[in-house]
Amino acid sequence: MVAQPLDGIRVLELGGGLAAAFATHLLAGYGAEVVRVDPPAHADAPPGMTEDQEAALLGGKRRIDADAAEVRRLAGVADVIVEDLDPATAAHLAFDPAELRAEREELVVVTISPFGRSGPDRDAGATNATVFATSGMMSLTGDPERTPLVTGGSQALHVGGLNAFGAALSALFGAQLHGTGAWVDISVQECLAGMLELYGPGGAYGLPPTLRFGNWHRACWALYPCSDGHAGVFCLERQVPSLFAAIGDPELDDPRFRDPLQRPDNEEELSASVIGFMVDHTGDDLLQIGQQRKIPFGIVRRPSELLEAPALRTRGFFDEVALPDGTVVTTPGRPFLGLGWTAPDRVHRPGEDTDAVHRDWSTPAPGGVA
Amino acid sequence: MTRLPLDGMRVADLSMMWAGPFATKLLAEMGADVLKIESPSAWDNIRTLIPFPADSEPWNASYYFNTYNRQKRSVTLDLAQDAGRDVFLRLLAHCDVLVENYRADVLDNLGIGYDVLRAANPQLVIVSMAGFGKTGEDRSLVGFGPVIEMMSGLTSLTGYGDDGIPYKCGVSYGDPVGGQMAAAAVVLGLMQRRRTGTGTVIDLAQRETGAAMAGEAFVAASRHGTDQPQWGNRDPRLAPQGCYRCADQDLTRWEGTATPPVPGTEEQWVVVAARTDAEWRALARLVGRDDLAGLDLATRQQRHDELDEVLAAWARQRTAADVVAEVRAAGATAGRVHDTVSVHDDPQLAARGHWSTFPHPHMPDGWRQPVAAWHRVGEDRGLRARAPLFGEHTRTVLTELLGCTADELDELAAASVIGDAPINPGVG
Repeated sequence: MVAQPLDGIRVLELGGGLAAAFATHLLAGYGAEVVRVDPPAHADAPPGMTEDQEAALLGGKRRIDADAAEVRRLAGVADVIVEDLDPATAAHLAFDPAELRAEREELVVVTISPFGRSGPDRDAGATNATVFATSGMMSLTGDPERTPLVTGGSQALHVGGLNAFGAALSALFGAQLHGTGAWVDISVQECLAGMLELYGPGGAYGLPPTLRFGNWHRACWALYPCSDGHAGVFCLERQVPSLFAAIGDPELDDPRFRDPLQRPDNEEELSASVIGFMVDHTGDDLLQIGQQRKIPFGIVRRPSELLEAPALRTRGFFDEVALPDGTVVTTPGRPFLGLGWTAPDRVHRPGEDTDAVHRDWSTPAPGGVA
Repeated sequence: MTRLPLDGMRVADLSMMWAGPFATKLLAEMGADVLKIESPSAWDNIRTLIPFPADSEPWNASYYFNTYNRQKRSVTLDLAQDAGRDVFLRLLAHCDVLVENYRADVLDNLGIGYDVLRAANPQLVIVSMAGFGKTGEDRSLVGFGPVIEMMSGLTSLTGYGDDGIPYKCGVSYGDPVGGQMAAAAVVLGLMQRRRTGTGTVIDLAQRETGAAMAGEAFVAASRHGTDQPQWGNRDPRLAPQGCYRCADQDLTRWEGTATPPVPGTEEQWVVVAARTDAEWRALARLVGRDDLAGLDLATRQQRHDELDEVLAAWARQRTAADVVAEVRAAGATAGRVHDTVSVHDDPQLAARGHWSTFPHPHMPDGWRQPVAAWHRVGEDRGLRARAPLFGEHTRTVLTELLGCTADELDELAAASVIGDAPINPGVG
């Protein structure tokens, strides 16, 4: 069996939200033993993860019920705690990362919350969309003639989880190397606000606000219809000549299109030429042309199409995971090749592993840093 | 002084544009010594993507480049020349990590494929982050962030839901998420090296990172045989949730400037949501519609259009900040749709020290840059160093690490293997 980088590392997941579940899903895949404390169900709680989200993110984890005392005990023998507890539940559990780390400085705690654990909004509730809004990214997304638009697939929460994954690893590596872990306070708003490409820095540098572009930034950087769906072309200046050659319109040899300094005044005319080319081709045609001529074309693929995509199948990207009712679903698997990944076999039932974990986690892990 | 987790780790950074530099920015924030390696004849395009004609060295004046490359050191080396490759391979012996985001075939074309790199340093952790990976049928596709987003399934999930049109994210979304995953991959590789004593090669396809961010959609397609619908700004688990226009903002401060605001940017928006029945009751009362407060979730979903009209009419009479304050005070959920300027004045981000102003020789007044999102509680969040000038550290690094003499460095400079300015820089 291939040794994995996180063999012997114990991870405790608290809170029950998508962000923490995504982070620990990735930690589990690379060998960590993850125990998830399922949130107790109570009336009028904000909605938790959907069944599809649970199927994607809970495979391979042990799932337990635990009261405040048991959480405290498990925290004492974990190497890493990833939590997205709401403030009221954290208070109910008397969960205090600073106090836990005062007892064991090698412990890593990663807290994920919409706005962070300090500041005036630290206790504000949020949905994926409301926190996405506060980052600046939503103002850039959507049709300029319609409302700003949240991106699909709970991206704010996934970004929070992805950053928690990296932050947990770096803190754990620091603990292994230097003997000191960390409490990392991940604010989803901050993660997204640091991802505003050139537009955020431009706003900081004195430019006025940038209006959302929809799918069209400029003729050679846009998403268009194609003959069987939607496809985009996203060219740097050095790739524009190849695009023009592929389009094959002699008119495009004119300096008003060739010269990058004249082109902005002629974008509308150029777009008409590009869109004419796009709608005459299928997405697959465009990809083939792109491969041959080194032009960045892309197709808007749907997940159902990608499940059958030869390239993803060849690379062994997907996992098959059994759900508690016996259904087997396909999920995205290892995010990169080169390190051992354990595909989750099944999604455990809530509370299924309570007794076993109580027994197994009675002392620090032999291979961990605890 | 607190040690950062990657203190003592050195990264050879061949990456360009946004995805790779985003990864190495994160590594630098965690303490790694990142050597950003560019060629005088093939520099990071981000330097020259935005024209800065008034600056004598526009390649050093880009706020885009200087935001995502701070806290790194700049080394120039032309890897297309034998002498440049030789110096590079010698440099690798002093590095722990190599990050590159070239197209899949470029390393081999340069004569520095994996076998060559690992011969130079068997303990090297190599992270390649080509858009579609190093293997598989799509490996030779060319793509930037928007292409990655489209080809990963993410773009198909974004849309208003009433016209079938998919919308790309407003930023090149595939890049930063690919970078975040690559930074994590680097650390995992270092942890693995610590256990095994040998380096590793990690093949990160940015498209796969994007797909990993949409697990629920793949499960839905696999389980139900159909793709998820586009939900617009709604959420199938709660109602109402929507994006509503507020009172416009004043943009007169930019009027008459070289870059006046475009129509539409005066609009201000908020997202308001009721996650539970209790939140809805509070919201309904706040907007003066007690008669709707008793609606259950199913009814709210059915009458969502009507509730949108109620909330929109209420919000339009208020500033975005007031809407958020009133909704939250009432007990429901709201967030201001910050634009690319107002986000820098957000009270929460300010209170947490999320923005740090750091001067740069070509941007002397500084600008507010986001600090590390991996906020280690109790540690200083401020920036430690600005982005480097082109080739600023070439001579220092090659002298300190390789013992190069001044004569050798002059010879390399004469052959344009190293340099302190790009050769024939243009736009793009």
